[in-house]
Amino acid sequence: MDFPRRDFLKKTGLLTSGLLLHQELAAAFVAPVAAGKLKIGIIGCGDRGTGLLKILQELTDKFEVVALCDDLPFRLTAAQKIGSGAKAKTYTDYHALLDARTVDAVIISVPLNLHFQVAKDALAAGKQVYLEKTMTYDIPQALELVRLAQLRPNQTLQVGHQYRYSPLYYRVKEMIKQGYLGKVTQIDCRWDRNGSWRRPVPEPSLERKINWRMYREYSGGLAAELLSHQMDFINWAFDTHADEIFGTGGIDYYKDGRETYDNVQVMARYAKEGIVGNFGATCGNARDGYLFKLKGTKGTISLLVDEGVYYPEKDTLKQYGTVDGVTGATKITWNKDGGIPITTGAEPLKDGSWYALNDFYRAVNEKKLPDSNVFTGARAACTVHLANHAIYNHTIEKWQPEYNLT
Amino acid sequence: MLHCLFLALGLWLLPPREVALRAFQLNGYAQGTTYAITYYAADSAVTSADVARQLAEIDASMSLYQPGSLINRFNAAPRGVVADQHLKVVVRKALQVYQDTDGRFDATVEPLVRAWGFSTQHTEAPPSAAAIQAILKGVGSEKLHLRGDSLVKDQPAVHLDLNGIAQGYTVDVLAALLESRHIRNYLVELGGEIRVRGHKFPSRELMRIGIERPDTSDLLPTSMQQVIRLAAGGVTTSGNYRKFKRWGAVKSAHLIDPKTGYPFQNELISVTVVAPDALTADAYDNALMGMGLTKALTFLQRHANLQAYLIYQRPDGTIADTATPGFQRLLSPE
Repeated sequence: MDFPRRDFLKKTGLLTSGLLLHQELAAAFVAPVAAGKLKIGIIGCGDRGTGLLKILQELTDKFEVVALCDDLPFRLTAAQKIGSGAKAKTYTDYHALLDARTVDAVIISVPLNLHFQVAKDALAAGKQVYLEKTMTYDIPQALELVRLAQLRPNQTLQVGHQYRYSPLYYRVKEMIKQGYLGKVTQIDCRWDRNGSWRRPVPEPSLERKINWRMYREYSGGLAAELLSHQMDFINWAFDTHADEIFGTGGIDYYKDGRETYDNVQVMARYAKEGIVGNFGATCGNARDGYLFKLKGTKGTISLLVDEGVYYPEKDTLKQYGTVDGVTGATKITWNKDGGIPITTGAEPLKDGSWYALNDFYRAVNEKKLPDSNVFTGARAACTVHLANHAIYNHTIEKWQPEYNLT
Repeated sequence: MLHCLFLALGLWLLPPREVALRAFQLNGYAQGTTYAITYYAADSAVTSADVARQLAEIDASMSLYQPGSLINRFNAAPRGVVADQHLKVVVRKALQVYQDTDGRFDATVEPLVRAWGFSTQHTEAPPSAAAIQAILKGVGSEKLHLRGDSLVKDQPAVHLDLNGIAQGYTVDVLAALLESRHIRNYLVELGGEIRVRGHKFPSRELMRIGIERPDTSDLLPTSMQQVIRLAAGGVTTSGNYRKFKRWGAVKSAHLIDPKTGYPFQNELISVTVVAPDALTADAYDNALMGMGLTKALTFLQRHANLQAYLIYQRPDGTIADTATPGFQRLLSPE
């Protein structure tokens, strides 16, 4: 060949790493060879438990649902109607499920106040554990669960912050690292709904059991149930934690006997990163819905659960606007509002839980720490607990050194 | 009286040199993507309405998405149709490049593309060997003929798809529209295919054209691979990135070999071609992708009117690139 094979690539490293990341991601979601199915039981068959049960129907090459547990019989009946649920043995007492030798792993999706006890018992019973978020009800439980999990290195404990398992959120984490946003100073998070957040109750005696989210004895309210996802993502993406947390809120619309606030706002300062995080949730307006905006000197990323858009700042655009035209095989199409959609490959995105359960399977088989693990779970749980303290006690809460877990 | 005074003053104040050229920009959506036109003129000689009219004319001729378009009527016809000027020009080029590339560019490949699920319809599994063989019987541009004012086919099953070169042709037509209004400095881009001529004003620099970096990220800022400066010509890119399908462990790229019926499997990731016009560049970029690196470079040695930049994957998985000497001369020093 007469052509000089001069290498023109100036950014080979960047380009290659971009392609490789994608392959690694893809590899993370393919079935490991020769690994058997994980026999799994679900403890708690409410909304979340049955939601995960449905996702498991798409992962029958990795999981076999062998047990279902709930102390409300009508929930067990409903769960049995989902996919292979009918084949599963049913339990009303989770201890009995944990005693069953046929169960390798459990999904724990019970009210928040029970997370710690059930997870502790499951670890003691030798089970692999997928524990719904928020990991624990309070900080002491979080610290204790970390200790217990560390005593059992051969068991996996994964925490169900499923949204960040979406390839979209991995891509955003990578973009932050690559400097697309420049220096991030503000992060806005909302999770708003217009509705009472109540579930129908077949008979009044079951009110507290079904609507446990309304009562502080069982629940961490909107901060634990909704805002914890975004708190966890920020911790994970920036490898940080909030140092100082302010909060406020009230029962401002649904004065229906509930104890947890229907309207909350939290401000967090991440001192090391120099970031202010704003977290809000209301039950009284749905216009913003899920909102997650990361704002940096070079650009903004606006995230939905399964969509993301990058908005370069004006100066960032100028920097790259020095060409008059761009040629490419599949052209980048700008949104009408000046953003670039963040994509993660040709395949449409699946529900975050799908990726999370795949990672759980991988973590169990390869004895690897899952990306949402007991340490990150504890960090999020501590943040939520501090936020709730600030909200309910009108105090400024500070992160304590003993919460730093590795 | 007042008018006369202003006129006199104006003439007196105007420098005797040429009129100052200003930049005009037109943007919009067309052919399932966006277009952007920049031209330099004393006044807005071409408007969005002019562009829209021209685009509508091309769609009526060559769009597979427009019911009743000439190409759709051809595909539905058992024998053929009377061709309009657009169809004649593009099919003539398609047949010429088909010959020149030993059939690697083939405007009748669409039924195979559809069978592999890269058309509008989703497919659950790759086509069977038998299905591919059956489809191949209706594929091949030798079954396509321009006779007098007509476009005819040897078999009713022959299905024409000009999507691979229509965008290149469209930017050429829009450039001709600008030229017809005496505009000599412009850049027309549609779907990443470009036709350019002249300089920018007031800097009098050549236009700078970025070549997109193949990546799954779709993000602009770090995605510019190279920048070229070009006085006049067409620039187009064909690539195997971003558009692929996974069937279990098997990954299929969207460029299908019209001879075998299977996706091209070679080391090329993208090919950018510079040619005198965008239609020519657009017709050759796909064919070069199909050739693989070594054959593509040999082919380019025999074609002085084509300059190209190729990004490929080495056997060890790393990414590398190379270019023809003519292309290297266009590269803009940063």
